[in-house]
Amino acid sequence: MAKKNFTLNVNGKVRQVTAELDEPLLWVLRDNLGLTGTKFGCGSGECGACSVLIDGEVRRSCRVPVAYAALGREITTIEGLGTTGNLSPLQKAFIDHTAFCCGFCTPGMLITATALLAKNPYPSREEIITAMDNNLCRCGSYLNVIEAIEAVIKAT
Amino acid sequence: MNMTRRQFIASLGSTGLFYAFHFTSKSGAQTQSVEEPFTAMVDPGCVVSDMDIDYTDWIAFGPGDKVSVFTGRAELGQGLKTVITAIVTQGLEITRSNLAVVMGDTDLCPDDGITSGSSSTRMVGWGFWLACEKITGDVIARASQYVGIPADDLEFRRGGVGRKGETGNLVNASELGNGKTLIMTINPRTMSAGKKYTDLKIPNVNAEEIITGRLKYVGDLKKPGMLYAGWLCTPYHRTVTKLKSVDAGAALALPGVKKVETVWGRVAVLGERYSDVIKGLDLVETTWSEPNRPKEMPLEEARANAGLLAVEEQKGDINAGLSASDFTYSENYTTHYTCHCQLETDMAVAQVENGGDKAAVWVSTQHSHKAKELIADALHIPPENVRSIGMPAGGAFGGKQANPVNREAAKLSSLVGAPVKLVYSRKDQFQLRAFFKAACIIEVTSGVSANGKILARKVDSYQDVGHGTKHTYDIPHVLVKAYRDPNWPLGLASSRGTSYVQTCFATESHIDMLAHKLGIDPLEFRRKNVEFPAYVNLIDSCADMIGYGKNELEADEGIGLAIVLHGGAQLGAIAAKVAVNRNTGKITVKRLCGAFDIGTVINLNTATVGLRGGMAWGIGYALSEEIELDGHSTKTEYFSQYRIARFSDMPPIDISFHDNHQPGSPPRGCGEMPVIPTIGAIANAVYNAVGVRFYSTPITPEKIKNALGSATREAI
Repeated sequence: MAKKNFTLNVNGKVRQVTAELDEPLLWVLRDNLGLTGTKFGCGSGECGACSVLIDGEVRRSCRVPVAYAALGREITTIEGLGTTGNLSPLQKAFIDHTAFCCGFCTPGMLITATALLAKNPYPSREEIITAMDNNLCRCGSYLNVIEAIEAVIKAT
Repeated sequence: MNMTRRQFIASLGSTGLFYAFHFTSKSGAQTQSVEEPFTAMVDPGCVVSDMDIDYTDWIAFGPGDKVSVFTGRAELGQGLKTVITAIVTQGLEITRSNLAVVMGDTDLCPDDGITSGSSSTRMVGWGFWLACEKITGDVIARASQYVGIPADDLEFRRGGVGRKGETGNLVNASELGNGKTLIMTINPRTMSAGKKYTDLKIPNVNAEEIITGRLKYVGDLKKPGMLYAGWLCTPYHRTVTKLKSVDAGAALALPGVKKVETVWGRVAVLGERYSDVIKGLDLVETTWSEPNRPKEMPLEEARANAGLLAVEEQKGDINAGLSASDFTYSENYTTHYTCHCQLETDMAVAQVENGGDKAAVWVSTQHSHKAKELIADALHIPPENVRSIGMPAGGAFGGKQANPVNREAAKLSSLVGAPVKLVYSRKDQFQLRAFFKAACIIEVTSGVSANGKILARKVDSYQDVGHGTKHTYDIPHVLVKAYRDPNWPLGLASSRGTSYVQTCFATESHIDMLAHKLGIDPLEFRRKNVEFPAYVNLIDSCADMIGYGKNELEADEGIGLAIVLHGGAQLGAIAAKVAVNRNTGKITVKRLCGAFDIGTVINLNTATVGLRGGMAWGIGYALSEEIELDGHSTKTEYFSQYRIARFSDMPPIDISFHDNHQPGSPPRGCGEMPVIPTIGAIANAVYNAVGVRFYSTPITPEKIKNALGSATREAI
C-alpha cells in the first residue's frame, strides 16, 4: 500500500505525517510523532493500554487507521492531559492514591477516566467500573484507580 | 548515561568516596572493612536465596553532595526504586534530588541477583538500610581523622559530618575518599538496625513520569536505522515440530519489509515499521513437520512419566503417623495452566556493532546480568563485550527471568547489521513463548487424632516446579514430594508465587474438608493446628473483618479461610466472602480480608497496592484464568479468551498488618504471598455457600452449573 501524507490534530497541535492508509494510529503516534506514552499491549483493542481520545471519545488507537484519525478530528494522548507543574486533577489523584505499580496501563487508565469525568462529573462507583472495565491492569491496582477517581469526584 | 562504571568512578575525582557492601550469611564472615583499589574489584558471583545471602551493592558519594547507589536489580512495578530512595534519603539524610538510583545496567551495576521471590525490599531494601548505618559510622570515623575532632563530638547529617550542637557541616562525605573502594562485609542475619526508620510512606518515585507518559520502557526506545522484528508464530508447540520450508518471496515484495531471517529453526520478519512486520508475517509461507506426539495430553500422562524432582519436606515417620491416626483422609486436586500476561509483552532493543563483536541490549528483564550472559552465548562473544541495560518493566511476575527475547533481539541485530527492536505480539506471549504456570496433580493424605490434631500429612505433587509446600501446620509426621515429567513439551514457569500457589489451593481446601469430616469449624480446626502462634491472631483478624460466624450470610453466600507461609517467614491469612448464582453459575467475590505478618512495612503505599494486586491474581486464578491447549498447540490467543481480574471482578479489600511472629524484624516480603491463600479461601467460601467441593481450578460457571445440577448438599 502506498504511503500518503496526513494532517493530524494531536494535543492541540497540527502535525504532518507520512504513513500507509491503514496504519494503526498507535504506531503513527509512537514512531512518527514520538508520543510513546500510548502503549502497545495487545493489538486487538482488548487491553486499553493504547487508549486515546478522538473528539472526546475513548478509542483504541491500535484499531483506528490513521486515515480515520486524520479527518479533522481532535486527538488527545496521555502527553496532552497535563505536564509537570500543570497536572490534571486525575493525574495528581493517581499519584496520591498510588493508582499503579508498573505504570504500563496508566496512560490508558487516565485517558478513559478523563473521558468518563468529562461526560459525567459525578459517576457512581458502578458507573466508574462500567466505564473502566475494559482497561486491564495486570499488577491489579484497580481499587487504587477507583479511589483516585472518586477523590477527584469528591473534590469537584 | 553513556559511561562505563570505571569512567563513572573517575568522574567522582580523587575525593569521591565509594563503598561496596558485600552481604553474606556465611559463617565466619564477620563485619569487616577492607580497602582495595577500585580496579581490583570484580562482580562477585551471586547466589541469592533465603538460605545463602551473598550479593553486593554499591554506594558512591560525589561529586559534591551527590550520592549514587547501584543495584543490578530491576524495577518491575514492585516499587524497588521507591523503597531504595526512601531508605537512602532517610539513612543518609540527603534530598531526593541529590540521589541517583542506578539499576540493572551491567556496565555500571553489580550482579546482586535476580529480582524475584518477593526479595526486593526484603533483601536489597534491607541491605541498603544496613549499609546506610555502616556508612554513617565509617564516615564519622574518617571525618574525625580529617578534621582532628574526636568522633564522639561528631554526628552524621545531610550526607556529611558536623559537630554536635552546631548546624553547618564540617565536611562532605565525598571529600573523604581516596580513589579507593571500601568493601564492607555485612551479615544481615547477625546485624540488626540500630535506627528506627519512620514515615517512609512516599509516592512512587517514577510517578510523575508514569502519569504524564514520559517513563521510557524498552519498547519506547528508538535507535538510528533501527528495524522492527517479529517472529512467525509456529502452528504447533515449538518443542513438537520442526520447520521444513520457508518461502519469503511475497513478504519480501512488500516495500516496508527489509529482511526475512531463518534462525534457530524459526522465521523472523524485519521491517521499517511494526505494521510492516505484521503484514510480512502474514505473507511468509512455511511448512512444519507433523507434531511428534499425540494431540491428547491429559495431565495423567505427566503423572505416569514423572520423575522425582525433590523431597520438599520430610519429618517424623509418615507411615507410623498415618497408622497412629484415628481418622485418615485422602483427596486429589488438579490445577490448570495460567500465563503471566504482563501488559508489556516481551520486547528488547539490540544494537550489535563491530562486525557482531560488541552488543548493547536494552532489556525488560528480572536479571540484566543473566541476560548479558545469554546474549554473549548467543553471539559467541565474551560477556565483557555485552552491555545489558535494564529498563523499567511493564510487569514481570516471574515471566522475565531469562526471557529469550533479549538474546533473540541481539542475534537478529547481528544477522542484519542494524539495531533491532524485537516485539512479541499478545498471541506470541500465549502461543510462541508458551511459558505457563504448571497444571498440577496434587495428592494429599492426612491423618488426624480423635481430638482434632493433625498427626500426619503426605503430599505428592506432579508437575511441581519447586517450593510447593510450606509447613503452615504443626504436624509431627510429614512427607512432601514433588515430581516432574522431564519430557513435558511445555515450559513450566513460576508466576507470582512458586508451585505453592497450586499446592496451597489443594492443601487449604483439604484442611477445610478434614474439618467438615470431623465436624469441627474450619476456623477452630486451623487455630488448633497452626505451626506458629502468630497465625491465631491473623486468622482471628481476617475472620473478624469479614464477619465470620455472625450469620449475616444470604442464600448461596459463603465465607472461606486459608492461610499461607511464603518465602521464609511471610505469614498471611485471607478470608473470602462469595455469592454463587445457581442459574448462571457465576461466582461473585463480595469481599476479601487479609491479615499479614511480614515484618517492618517500609512503604505502606507500595505494600498495600501490591497486596491488593496479589489478591486480584488469586481471584483470576481461582475463577477465570485458564490457558486452553493440547499436546500439539496452544489455542488461547486473545485477552477475550483469557480473563484476568478486571475492575468488575474486584471486591472491597480490607488489610491489616500484624507484628507478632518476629516482632520488630526487618521486612520479610509480600509480593507473591497474597496470591496464594486467596485461591483456597475462595474455594472454601464456595463450599460454604453451596456445599460442593471443587477439586479442580478454575471454578468456572460451567463447573458450578454442572455440579449444582446434580450434586446434593453435603453436611457442613
